[in-house]
Amino acid sequence: MAPSPVLPVHDLARRRRIVEECFRREAGAGAPLPGDAVDLIETGALDSMAWVSFLRTVESACGVSDLGARLTQRPSSFASILEALQEARATEPAPQSLPFARTQTESPAYALLAGSASVVGSHLMPSEEVDRLFGMPIGKLRSRAGIESIAYAANGENELTLGATALWEALRSTGCGPQELDWIVATSETHHDYPSLASQLHSRLLVRESCGALDVGGACLGLLNALAVAQALLVSGQARTVAIVTADVHSRTLTPGRVAGEFGGLFGDGASAFLLRASANGASAEYCLGEFIFGCAGQYAAAIRVSDDKDGGLAVQFDGEALSRAAITRMEKVLAQIEIRSGIPRSSVGGFATHQPNPRLVKLLAKQLGVSQSTFPPIARTSGNLGSSTCGSALHATLRAATLDSQERKPIFLASLGPGLVFGGGWLAPGSGEGSVQAS
Amino acid sequence: MTKLLITEITRMGPAFCAIGLQRENAKIQSIRPVSPRANGWLEFPHLRGDILECNLAPFSGSKPHIEDRVATQGFKKSSQLSESETVAFLRKAESAQSMNQLFGCAIHENKNGSGLYTLPHEATRSICGCETQNLRLEMCGNELRATLALPSGEVLRDLPVVDRDWHDFTDAALAPQRGANVAARLERFLNSQFQYKTLSCPHHYVRLGITRPYHDLCWLMLDTLFPLPKPDWLEEF
Repeated sequence: MAPSPVLPVHDLARRRRIVEECFRREAGAGAPLPGDAVDLIETGALDSMAWVSFLRTVESACGVSDLGARLTQRPSSFASILEALQEARATEPAPQSLPFARTQTESPAYALLAGSASVVGSHLMPSEEVDRLFGMPIGKLRSRAGIESIAYAANGENELTLGATALWEALRSTGCGPQELDWIVATSETHHDYPSLASQLHSRLLVRESCGALDVGGACLGLLNALAVAQALLVSGQARTVAIVTADVHSRTLTPGRVAGEFGGLFGDGASAFLLRASANGASAEYCLGEFIFGCAGQYAAAIRVSDDKDGGLAVQFDGEALSRAAITRMEKVLAQIEIRSGIPRSSVGGFATHQPNPRLVKLLAKQLGVSQSTFPPIARTSGNLGSSTCGSALHATLRAATLDSQERKPIFLASLGPGLVFGGGWLAPGSGEGSVQAS
Repeated sequence: MTKLLITEITRMGPAFCAIGLQRENAKIQSIRPVSPRANGWLEFPHLRGDILECNLAPFSGSKPHIEDRVATQGFKKSSQLSESETVAFLRKAESAQSMNQLFGCAIHENKNGSGLYTLPHEATRSICGCETQNLRLEMCGNELRATLALPSGEVLRDLPVVDRDWHDFTDAALAPQRGANVAARLERFLNSQFQYKTLSCPHHYVRLGITRPYHDLCWLMLDTLFPLPKPDWLEEF
């Protein structure tokens, strides 16, 4: 399979495949596919709850958010859905009609991931020591969360130094000089100072003055937000080379006495960096960014809230059980949607670069997905939850493993979430250039 | 003889379900009168706000539908309250600020598509009222769905709307004799005037319920939305 261009789902065969796959997930794998004209509700193939659930899955997989509305007063059939999807495609504005927009033939259609790196705080502490610091029973983090050690920033290390180190390494790995960067997109859930992290990195790396510096939020979802922003900059022709940096230093904020160990003890410090380039045809030895999905599941908003209180302290509302349940449910759902949208079966995915709230949940997620736990790099187990850098470190580790196993590079799935509960997912497919193997 | 203030009339398929409030000493609690033969009624010729006199017998309904009572004879209307008076009583009955308070248990999301559910053995009741920070109705493939934000900030998405009057209203709005583009006109109404009319109403209130166990899950639904729709709103779009 060629890497997916960053365009809405417009191919008729692809749309049909998605609709059929979504139906099977709702009605059961063994349910026979109905004829196009069959009314799914009248024939009892789906009840009204399942019908709407099915439509929502198709909406998400096809990126057509008003599919349900388009089907009002139409039969509840495959034919209606396919027709509505076709209409949705027809009403999208043509690129030529947008002011200042380039035509499709002029715009690069692909964003390639050219290089990556990650670093963690240089002070590695066994989890038993963390238990002791937070006044918890010795062994609690290891036995309850599966954490073996936590990486903490040493004196002199902070978001800027860790982020800059990661970015230098990412640049070096691709032979790219800082002056080639058109944008630095930074994300951090712990850096709240001004000048912002992106502008400090801009100054630290001495990139061109005309290189943009942009900070995006989303906490643990920050990397995916940044990737989507970078992809938009690249495929719109606004940039040729974009650097993404994540950097999180929790150990200065989530300190013993300020927050409970069951919460603060989970977090470590780290950073990651990625270099993305525009490409006209996706033919490359590098990985190509696929599509992204995002959303916000507000029903879980109360599971975690963090805010400053008026005395300079930190107010943390953390319902661990509810958050764990929400994280697993949502990431499983996001990855299932990515599977449908990409057409890449989870069984052929080389690695899952996801957020890792703690190792126990990673194990559970792998089990729920029915994939090997080894496809999830063990970031949280050895370094703790690194915030937005967890997903970044996991992605870097997955890319590095793919490089070592150059005979069979496989697609990579991404998924993450943050308080709110904001969530997102996407995929990377191996490019079709020399040295790469196309995904099947 | 029990006096029941009718607060909910829901429609699911061909059957209606009614729920009312009963005062027991100082406590106001929800009661669901069911016919001796079925959980629903094929006809229910009464309105929200009606006070009905009836004979109710305990019913060994399965948990979490602990509000069920068998109506052993017909209903006799004794008086009627206005919408605002009805809501004043609803606010004194079961109510919640957050998701976990609604049915006394965790609420789960459908892993495949949309919808929220509770586990039957976890839920401690099947009906609850709440204020909302925001509320949106939409048509999705001919089905009316609600999304709302609770006072806690938690969002409940894609709840089936089973309120009889709101169903009748959207059916009337989509009637062919109303002319062209009725679906688009209804969508525009739901995205604009609807929000103003409901959220600015001083007696805006919502009651949520859960279905009877279906494949071992009880799905959340929006049973009642006050204010009820007014026929003259149809003239506005």
